[in-house]
Amino acid sequence: MSIKDLLTPFTAWKRITKEPVTIRDPFNDRPGAERYRGFHKNDVNKCIGCGTCEDICENEAIDMVPFKDPISGDSGLRPRLDYGRCCWCALCVDVCTTNSLTLSNEYTWVTVDPEDFRYTPGVDKKAWDDNEKGWKKPEGSYEFYNINRVEMHHLHPEDRDKSFVEMVKGYSREQAIAEADRCVECGICTATCPAHMGIPEYIKAVRHEDMEEGLRILYETNPLPEICGRICTHKCETVCSIGHKGDPLSIRWLKRYIADNVSSDKYKEILNTKDLSNNHKKVAIIGSGPAGLSAAHYLALMGYQCTIFEQYEKAGGMMRYGIPEYRLPYDSIDKDIDYILSLGVDIKYNTRIGTDITLEQLNKDYNAVFAGTGLHLGRSTGIPGSDNEHVYYATDLLRQITAGEEIEVTDQIVVIGGGNVAMDITRSLARMQNQKFGKVNIITTALEREKNLPADLEEVVESREEGAIINPGWAPQSIEIENGRPVGLHVIKCNSLFDDTGRFNPQCDITKKEFFPGSMIVQSIGQGMDLSFVNEDFKKDLEFGSRGRVVTNAYFQTSVKWFFMGGDIIEGPDVIHGIANGHKAAIGIDNYIQGIDFTPAK
Amino acid sequence: MDLTKMFQFNADRSSYPELDANGKPIIDLSSHKYLKLWQGPQHPGVTGNMSLELTVNGDEIVESKTHVGYLHRGFEKLMERRKFIQCFPTCIRMCVAEPDPNEYILSACIEELSGIEVPETAQWLRTLALEMARLQVLLRGVPGQAGTFSLGLGYQWGNYIRDLILDRFEELTGGRVYHMYILPGGVRGLLPDGFKKRMEENLKLVDEFLVNINDLMYNNIVFKQRAVGLAVIPVEWIDQYGVYGPAARAAGIMRDVRKTHPYLKYSELDFEPYTTTASDVYARSLVRWHDLKMTVDLIRQIMAKMPDKGEIKAPTPNVMHWRIPKGETYVKCESSRGEYGMYMVTDGSDMPRRVNLKGPSYTHATALLERLLINANIADTAAIMVSLATCPPEIER
Amino acid sequence: MVEILKELEDRFQVTDLVQQKDHLAFVSVDKNKAIPMITWLKDQAGYTSLTLLTAVDWLEDGKFQLTYMINNPKKNSQIAARVMIDRENATMESAHHLWESIRIYQRELKEMFGIDFPGSPEVDESFILEGWVDIPPYRRDFDTKKYSDETYFPRPGRQSNDPAEYMKSKMYPNE
Repeated sequence: MSIKDLLTPFTAWKRITKEPVTIRDPFNDRPGAERYRGFHKNDVNKCIGCGTCEDICENEAIDMVPFKDPISGDSGLRPRLDYGRCCWCALCVDVCTTNSLTLSNEYTWVTVDPEDFRYTPGVDKKAWDDNEKGWKKPEGSYEFYNINRVEMHHLHPEDRDKSFVEMVKGYSREQAIAEADRCVECGICTATCPAHMGIPEYIKAVRHEDMEEGLRILYETNPLPEICGRICTHKCETVCSIGHKGDPLSIRWLKRYIADNVSSDKYKEILNTKDLSNNHKKVAIIGSGPAGLSAAHYLALMGYQCTIFEQYEKAGGMMRYGIPEYRLPYDSIDKDIDYILSLGVDIKYNTRIGTDITLEQLNKDYNAVFAGTGLHLGRSTGIPGSDNEHVYYATDLLRQITAGEEIEVTDQIVVIGGGNVAMDITRSLARMQNQKFGKVNIITTALEREKNLPADLEEVVESREEGAIINPGWAPQSIEIENGRPVGLHVIKCNSLFDDTGRFNPQCDITKKEFFPGSMIVQSIGQGMDLSFVNEDFKKDLEFGSRGRVVTNAYFQTSVKWFFMGGDIIEGPDVIHGIANGHKAAIGIDNYIQGIDFTPAK
Repeated sequence: MDLTKMFQFNADRSSYPELDANGKPIIDLSSHKYLKLWQGPQHPGVTGNMSLELTVNGDEIVESKTHVGYLHRGFEKLMERRKFIQCFPTCIRMCVAEPDPNEYILSACIEELSGIEVPETAQWLRTLALEMARLQVLLRGVPGQAGTFSLGLGYQWGNYIRDLILDRFEELTGGRVYHMYILPGGVRGLLPDGFKKRMEENLKLVDEFLVNINDLMYNNIVFKQRAVGLAVIPVEWIDQYGVYGPAARAAGIMRDVRKTHPYLKYSELDFEPYTTTASDVYARSLVRWHDLKMTVDLIRQIMAKMPDKGEIKAPTPNVMHWRIPKGETYVKCESSRGEYGMYMVTDGSDMPRRVNLKGPSYTHATALLERLLINANIADTAAIMVSLATCPPEIER
Repeated sequence: MVEILKELEDRFQVTDLVQQKDHLAFVSVDKNKAIPMITWLKDQAGYTSLTLLTAVDWLEDGKFQLTYMINNPKKNSQIAARVMIDRENATMESAHHLWESIRIYQRELKEMFGIDFPGSPEVDESFILEGWVDIPPYRRDFDTKKYSDETYFPRPGRQSNDPAEYMKSKMYPNE
């Protein structure tokens, strides 16, 4: 040690001339940084109340509280923060499925009431609601789950456009687990599914590779998983929370994955349906479509003796006779139906009510009757020339194809219609043209414009891949007939379908005309119900509502107490509504037969 | 003039305390020769919430017992009931002053056990965050040693610059103290625009600070008088008592995980940790001063070498149900206090089976401190504690 | 690393070798051979530094796993020895004669897991928890959530809703 050590510390005195570094008013003079993790903000209109923020919060600082009535795709709940617990880690922001939840850069909040520190961001207005700065996950930087769907292997267009082989191959084990991993288990989808299937639960079963548990969950609400797993309109996927910033979960393919991976001989054991009770009550079911099969399934589980009356020689209704084989192979239909029939459900084929047996007779022989007769009558455009014998209805052609009957296929076809049925017939005819002529020459036109087409997007895309021309936005005017057969369709431009009040009122521009040449015209603009099995006297007892539909209560009971109706004739049209209706009707029928009073509000 | 002699004061303590046959002091409180004195849990001379139960004879300590438990939150146990992603906001609290190594070792354990490769850019950003964390700790830790001898001026200088470093943390990570930046798979953000420029401005202040603090502390007769020769850790104690990091390097033993087991991007950086042999409080403090200097240099190297753009996070399984196969591992890194490691056991579920954090304070503040305090002066207790950089939260995780 | 593991197999019949990474290997060793093996590693093989000693509760198997992790600073090599002991009356031989620091670990294990190390200094003194009367809290069967709910008062007025359940109650309550 030296004298230097005594003096050197005094060099600190040189700082006496330095400016002070303190900030006079840090709260007002010093805003938080761009990424600061300050108080929460929530865009309540973007938020769907999925509750994933609540699930990830390790501090249990978030409650989901009611904000508005739930609607399909929005639980109506919004996150409420408890700042007595929050640690501002922002995991809730990072996991948010809609990117609605963010943090502001505000960090000071003084209040005398500690209860103020529980608040619902976005609902309880705060001074920092409009702060642009604060933590938000940088766009495209990272996600806590894969927002991209696991690609499903499809047959290439050139491999599928000549045959009716199933084109969607189904997920492999790895693919299914990876896809199931994307689910955040919010359960928003369940309300939207007409059958209210336990979707997060069966996806979890896929994740855990527990197919038996998965199958049990499926059959709780849906006895046709093989079918639904292929052709369901998957309304659930349209509301999937992951779909808000990426691809929705492939809920439909995961359902199919479960059903595909359980062999049918194990069903009874897994579903515990080997020994069903029998209550010696009988129910007649008209039609073996989804509604009828679903009703029969759930009634059979309750111990009822069900008999299905089917007008064609095979069961399945529109699922078999309306949907082409490349989308829904017959053995998949058979797997689901055979299981239901194995529960002791009786089926009488080639039996039409009204001609082979009367409804009154059914009433006498059975305790209740359920009708799921569907929409089988094709609607006509009614334009000049539509009564020509080479102008067809799509439903008729599809049924004939399934039944193996010979149908006319020309080398130039025009299809009118923009729904899934129109796409089905387009693609079926395209395949047949390909087989017969080696090329596809088919034009499908519809009133709706491209972005409003009622058909699923993938159906339109795949139709085009297979060589069909989809040219929407035209109103059919007349069919040109030469020498007793069509040569084409005259159309004019259709600008809009609905007026300001939402009424169907097409606005067309007659100066924009077009002619689609075709030697065969197919109409696919919707189907109507066929009530010919009901005699006129009975019809008087049935209550009809607007648009000619039969009125039923929430359990699908008509104004005639023993007569229940469901499926496409009541709701839909699609398979999943039929299944949901059949299930609900089964409960209603059970209550009716047992004499339990049920007066639900519709 | 020999100033050493002028300030030398050595009392004759040959008769106290009396030792038994095993060399342990015979402490009989009723003899009125001994006094129990509690330093902590609330005491400015204690590094955090812990307390020392001192038995003193005059102003000399004859026995010391470390008491912890004033902030035990059982984080290791809590993590056993949290999903892997949820462990991330929990783990940082295991050392409040320097949270980033917690984030890193937790993430690295999870990544190693689930086989995730962290992107290049994220590795650089992690290295940067870890060095920035060391920087802000040492800006208080280096002058803090003088603070224990009532020289608080340097601490104020350091604290000001530390605040500026926290500003940089704030703009990089969104948080000043709990950064929550390194998460399983990567990091949560790229460098903001102009970050490097602002950081460089701050580093210039640190350069200046290093010179000033050198004048203020290491060439200060009072500091030297108090610190030189105080609490010497013999080389043989290093393994016996579990001495890590700067404290080991002050004894001439090279213990720096960055050098011995290079992780992240340390193998691409040029640095040589300082070692000395005196092994007293002065030497330990000087090692920290050199560490601070080295950290400034490392941050400059990192900023020069790191890419500006790139992937910041590897894709992970859905964090809401991330399962990790059965396994176990130990990941370590170098915190400002020494080797900082995490032992994680997984059992195939979506939560860890067991997490065990091993920080240097665990041994420094208990076995080692208890030993070092014997025969020390009461007035030196704080200095000895600070020289070991004890951090109670990492003892009682 | 490979040689030392081979040697451990020969000398102490270790099993379940897992070389986790270049410098870290896990081995299982019989309870009776654990302390001799660690002593040998420390005194003969250069594994002079103790990294950690901790326990893992395998409640389902009725076992505690003690993990002794020791380090060879010269070779930068780390070996972790797993020792399975019975959960009932869990006791393990003390290693306090090997390292001064290990008594702290043993004291904590006694308190947090209830594993006894007879002979270890201060092993019965409370380390972190004073006046603890419940079962050792780091055991798997100690429920932290339950303890917290019973010991502390929850904030009144907090209520949450599950989105799916809430939607059901509002949109289709009868199904």
